[in-house]
Amino acid sequence: MLLTFSYLRLECPGAALAEPKGSSWVKVPPMPNDLPAAVAIGSGKLPPNLALALVPLLVLIVALDVYCLVDLARAKSVRNVPKWVWAIVILFVSAPIGALVYLFVGRDRGHDATHDPAPAGAIIGPGGGEAGTGREAGADGDAGAGREADAAGGAGDGVNTDAEAGLGVGRAAGRPPVDQMPPDCRPIVTTSGLTRDYGGAGLFDVDLVVPRGSIYGLVGPNGAGKTTLLSLLSETRRPDRGTISMHIGRNQIAVCPDVPEFDGWLTAAEVTDLARSLVAPSAGKQAVATALATAGLAGSAGRRVGGFSRGMLQRLGLACALVGEPELLILDEPTSALDPAGRAEMLSLVAAMRGHRTVIFSSHILADVQRIADHVGILRDGRLLYQGATKDLIDTYLEPSWLVRIAGDPEPVAAALAGEPWTTRAEPAGADAIRVDATSLEAGERGIPAVIAGCGARQVSCEPVAADLESAFLALTGAHS
Amino acid sequence: MATATSSMTWQSMNLWRLEWLRLKRTPRALTMAAVFVFFGLLQPILTKYQSQLLSHVGNGVRISFPPATPAAGVSGYFRELAGTGLIVVVVIAAGAFTFDAHHGLAIFLRTRVTGFWRLIVPRYTVNAGAAGLAFVLGALAAWFETSLLIGAPAAGAMLAAMLCGVVYLGYAVAVTAFAATLARGTLATVGIALAGLFALPIAGVYRPIADWLPSALTSAPAALLGGTHHLPHYLPAFAVTVAVGGAALAAAVLRLRVREI
Repeated sequence: MLLTFSYLRLECPGAALAEPKGSSWVKVPPMPNDLPAAVAIGSGKLPPNLALALVPLLVLIVALDVYCLVDLARAKSVRNVPKWVWAIVILFVSAPIGALVYLFVGRDRGHDATHDPAPAGAIIGPGGGEAGTGREAGADGDAGAGREADAAGGAGDGVNTDAEAGLGVGRAAGRPPVDQMPPDCRPIVTTSGLTRDYGGAGLFDVDLVVPRGSIYGLVGPNGAGKTTLLSLLSETRRPDRGTISMHIGRNQIAVCPDVPEFDGWLTAAEVTDLARSLVAPSAGKQAVATALATAGLAGSAGRRVGGFSRGMLQRLGLACALVGEPELLILDEPTSALDPAGRAEMLSLVAAMRGHRTVIFSSHILADVQRIADHVGILRDGRLLYQGATKDLIDTYLEPSWLVRIAGDPEPVAAALAGEPWTTRAEPAGADAIRVDATSLEAGERGIPAVIAGCGARQVSCEPVAADLESAFLALTGAHS
Repeated sequence: MATATSSMTWQSMNLWRLEWLRLKRTPRALTMAAVFVFFGLLQPILTKYQSQLLSHVGNGVRISFPPATPAAGVSGYFRELAGTGLIVVVVIAAGAFTFDAHHGLAIFLRTRVTGFWRLIVPRYTVNAGAAGLAFVLGALAAWFETSLLIGAPAAGAMLAAMLCGVVYLGYAVAVTAFAATLARGTLATVGIALAGLFALPIAGVYRPIADWLPSALTSAPAALLGGTHHLPHYLPAFAVTVAVGGAALAAAVLRLRVREI
């Protein structure tokens, strides 16, 4: 306890203390035996004033203990030890220390006695999420202006808004300058020579072009620079060199990290409403309800997010991103924490945004990217190895291949196919099948039926061997290794 | 599902309400109020009966004190401005300002606000307000207990002492906001803030500036209650404290703007 001993003096029985000359100390007569503290300890009686003075202190301590016990009783769960242990700690550890220990160490901030325990619903399609259309016009003005003014102060170094667009866009070969394109055909994001060097690692000379309305998948191995690129686009980091041109207002961009975090004592509805108040203050609460429903959290809107799983947090992050009806959605590994069903729902939701919203998402699951992305960028060691249409990537970097089944002996047909100039491989694959690789998709599709017919063989089936992004990715990165 | 959600009711959120809920739904407000009121109730009792209490632990050594005065009764509480009370306020404020310690939370806030002052001002105002209110509640408790046990302190001096305390705690919260931009974690922020707040009185050994330092406000209550000085004597310290606190907040906004996550 904090006691300050000013003006005190010591008296030792049997020993005469030398009092300093000129001292201001006051010699106090020996303490009579009937003083309050002595009485309190000796006879158990307290003077009336002291008893009255102790009452508020005792009330405070008891109130704290009672509060903690009530909180413990209402809690669905507690941390570190079982509830009955915390009850003992609160009751029997020296008051109010036991209660304070419970508040800071044992209280589960995620619990909410009033929450709706219904499980998360399924993600619904965007068709149900159109409430609030038209509110952006009202929301854009102030928020957008504020953000740009703020960025001008230093945070937005190297980042251009639509008015400044065009810098460095000509670096990309084969497309007209952005400022000469019709507004609807302009890419929504372009970067030029974007570089962020972390001492050898990072991102180097990236010229990104994201078409408006596209689903752009960013793929690459760990450490390729995907998150760095998304961080630069979302302005949470700044480039060392190069420019970023965003052809939309800053308030029309929403970012969702791979591991969204929120204050655990807020409910899902409150978190989403907070996002709405920041990016679309004129939108009503219906926008919050719609965003939560779209993300599959309608049944958990009243739950505190401290108890959410990582998958539910990803859904909540998506709800917060969608509540402002953004034109550009930047998603970092949006399916990394979802179960297979949730992943499929999330991918369907993102795919359905094609055309009316641009999505840039990173993923290391190539099947996900192939399934929904119409454009893809492949990063490795911080460099953009490829960007373009997903289909073109597969067509360019994979030799088309077919499995041809025929009735009868496949050997003569395989030999005939092998003799064709457009064939790179033709060999029997079992008793009635031939594996044929061609130099191009068109050559194979035209040539295979003609050769089979020329041999007089009967074709049972001709199936393309699946060409996937993973194969293309391996072919591409292998070619550059 | 949209119907189920839309049937729910909740108060509209904004960054001000976020801070209010942070105090209300976590033990922060309760802890601050409990600590200050606890010391407000306890210190006058200890002052009144310190001789008797210590006589039982003296091992034959008798410790004598001058008679307790009302000023001494409440001064014990006001010393919490530079002790436990200050530490509690800094710890609680640091928890609110260190949002950059959580990457996902930092992205959520930083990519949505239109200016970093919008993140700082509500946090500062609500935390400083709560700290000031808790301090005043404790002072009122100390006033009550002292009046009951020893005698009523001068009302004018009490109010002036409370003003010193509230202004100093506001300064401490501003320093914590700045410290949170020098470090990311809560513990490091608390360490930096307390180091700055506790180190400042050392500069006071240089007498010409002692009365201008914010730390002068921590010793002001005892002088005001004892009649050594009156409130105008501390006007320079008030001015410097408010100016430095404002500068700390401005610096916090600037540093947040340039910091990457």
